[in-house]
Amino acid sequence: MKRAKYFLMLAVLIAPSSLIAQGSPKQQVLPNITTINVHSLGPQRIGNLPPVPVPPDNPQTSMKVQLGKQLYFDTRLSKDNTVSCQTCHDPAMGWSDAGPTSTGIHGQKGPRRAPPVSNAAYNPLQFWDGRAASLEEQAEGPMQNPVEMGNTLDNVVETLNGIPGYVEEFKQVFGTTPITIAQVVQAIAAFERTVVTTDSPFDRYIRGDRKALTPLEKQGMAIFNGKGHCTACHWGPDFSDGRFHNLGVVQTGPSKVDNGRYDVTHNPADMGAFKTPTVRDAGLRPPYMHDGSEKTLETVVDLYNRGGGDDDPNLDPLIVPLGLSKEEVKALVAFMRVALTSNNPEVAHVKPIPVSELPK
Amino acid sequence: MKKLYVLILAFIALSFLVPETAHAIPAFARKYGFTCTMCHTAFPKLNDFGQRFRDNGYQIPGQEGYEKNVFEIPPPISMRTPVGFSVYDSKQGATSGFNVYGLDLLAAGVLHKNISFLLIYTPRIDEPAGDYAGPNNGANPSQLGSMESANIVFSNIVQNALNLRIGRFEPAYQVFSSHRSFYIMEPYEVYTFTTPANSYLFSDNQMGVEATGHFKSGFKYGLGVVNGNGGNPDNSNYKDVYLNLVQIIGKGDGQSAGQRIGVFGYYGWQPTVLPGSVVAPTGETNGSGNKPFYKLGGDVSLNWSTLNLEVLVMGGNDDKALNTLDPTKDYRYSGGFVELDWAALMNNRLIASVLYNWVTPPSYDNGRSINAYSALVRYYLGDWTAFNVALHGEYTYREIGTTNPTKDNLFTVLVDFDF
Repeated sequence: MKRAKYFLMLAVLIAPSSLIAQGSPKQQVLPNITTINVHSLGPQRIGNLPPVPVPPDNPQTSMKVQLGKQLYFDTRLSKDNTVSCQTCHDPAMGWSDAGPTSTGIHGQKGPRRAPPVSNAAYNPLQFWDGRAASLEEQAEGPMQNPVEMGNTLDNVVETLNGIPGYVEEFKQVFGTTPITIAQVVQAIAAFERTVVTTDSPFDRYIRGDRKALTPLEKQGMAIFNGKGHCTACHWGPDFSDGRFHNLGVVQTGPSKVDNGRYDVTHNPADMGAFKTPTVRDAGLRPPYMHDGSEKTLETVVDLYNRGGGDDDPNLDPLIVPLGLSKEEVKALVAFMRVALTSNNPEVAHVKPIPVSELPK
Repeated sequence: MKKLYVLILAFIALSFLVPETAHAIPAFARKYGFTCTMCHTAFPKLNDFGQRFRDNGYQIPGQEGYEKNVFEIPPPISMRTPVGFSVYDSKQGATSGFNVYGLDLLAAGVLHKNISFLLIYTPRIDEPAGDYAGPNNGANPSQLGSMESANIVFSNIVQNALNLRIGRFEPAYQVFSSHRSFYIMEPYEVYTFTTPANSYLFSDNQMGVEATGHFKSGFKYGLGVVNGNGGNPDNSNYKDVYLNLVQIIGKGDGQSAGQRIGVFGYYGWQPTVLPGSVVAPTGETNGSGNKPFYKLGGDVSLNWSTLNLEVLVMGGNDDKALNTLDPTKDYRYSGGFVELDWAALMNNRLIASVLYNWVTPPSYDNGRSINAYSALVRYYLGDWTAFNVALHGEYTYREIGTTNPTKDNLFTVLVDFDF
């Protein structure tokens, strides 16, 4: 028994250092469990998240993750050194921001709300309109968006190649110099693939802890899965079908008109359709919808209860009035706000890396 | 002793009162992990989502091509049966008994993108040996074995505008489905009303092919060509056709939200001479002397909160050659029903409903006129995924005939389970 305790203590002491392996010339390769995206399997039950899908050409390593984390919090990726990924995807705001839409360089307001980074690794397509097919492709977008980070990819690469600390780290991670934009976005994506929330009361309930949910939350889960019709779109382990729907949301914010997915596909059926966001940790990041037009989860449910927003001719056929009573709305919101809010301290309490600790 | 016979006869009559069992398909819920109220206001009545799911060939709208097919999921088999106790009281006397009121065995699923199927088999319930004392020479089961549905659906042939259902199916003109009614004991009388020499039954599932379409404007249509003989061999060389048109006003599909108005028409043929001399390998004979009949009707479904008011009115006309009661004139009748359903409690765990049925035959057949008043309460024991149990209480008071009508009461309590 004493020997077992000894090995256990040894394992605990060794594990963190081997996982971090920072500064070691030999990188710790993190297990790439799967490359299968859950959405390719079709509509399925809500449940525990499977391992994060990792693309074969960008395997996870501890050093790459750490490098990506530094880049994520580094404002030098923006044109005027004021905006980082964290500015709009803040861990303290549920990996989104206060909204309603995001603010970029020079205080410019973007037309849409920042989608959460947490669990974004499960999205088959990124951005509200799905114009990026991977986290890597997504990471290129904001850097060169004039309203967001206002930079060019060439400038980003030039800036990073001018920072010896980054040059050294990139060399250790990728084995080559100079730094390329492909390496930059691969590192950021690798970090984002670690931002996964797996320990909500719902997750514990699914794993067998029948006391993890209160009776009200259980009622809310039944409504989520039934009368509320939520799982028609918010299905699967990440509570999203990864597809695009027009909810009839009345456009607000800087954009008078937002065509959504249509601007990517030019398919009339996609007019005004936006990607289904995950409901995991939704309670941490009001307001809601692509334009942040719904301030609370209660108003979100009210929108659905009315059968969507306005009489949009392209309203998704899944959107119908629900007939939910006040008590049912209360239960449903309790499930979303409390039962789906994770308790993953390594994700929820990620602190920005101070400028003084970023590579120089 | 005479009274005993009367009671036995009354009890046997009770078994004929039992309509076809209704169905819900928990196999779908198992596939997705849904609870019943995803597709049903409360099982078996479809809500708007369930109606659109059905209209889309048992695929979630927008998920065509991504759905797991039947080979990738647990066996897509479901079962539903109501079991309980009935008290029947008429002027002949009263009787009561425990009964199994029906059994549905269902299989359904997606075979391939936009190709799906539905099978419903209703086996004979009681033991053949148990019929020895029956007046119909042992041919009096509570439920005859029947392949109630066996159809394949080709969806979205032209987007939402053309879907085909082939086989035996519930025709689109049954906008208020007798198979998915909350009422287990009391049928929609006008659906089951038979005319003198016409084997067509409005409530029957029919064999043939049906085209349906639904549009963003809220317009829906159903157009079918069928034998018109339910599950029986067809002995008419003419086929029946029908058309129903529906317009939904407001958001929803008219089942649980939005307002729906529709019209329908059925035009069929029945042979007056049968059987003929030609017997096909599939069992049909060449009945001849075909004469026409038709049915026309309209329906309205109004929704407010969790209240749903359903009204259907229809009339029928059979050619005088089919009118054995008075061959000098066509047989004409009318009828309909008004039903008000209310869903209450969390997740629609309680259903309360009232229903009025009427059928008005021609004056020379007024002994078969019907006025029936029904009410029911259903309580669902849980919010489980893919199965449920309902406690069901239903009462009907019915008058048959206008002069010195037959009056009867039927009270039933049962447990209705579906998984």
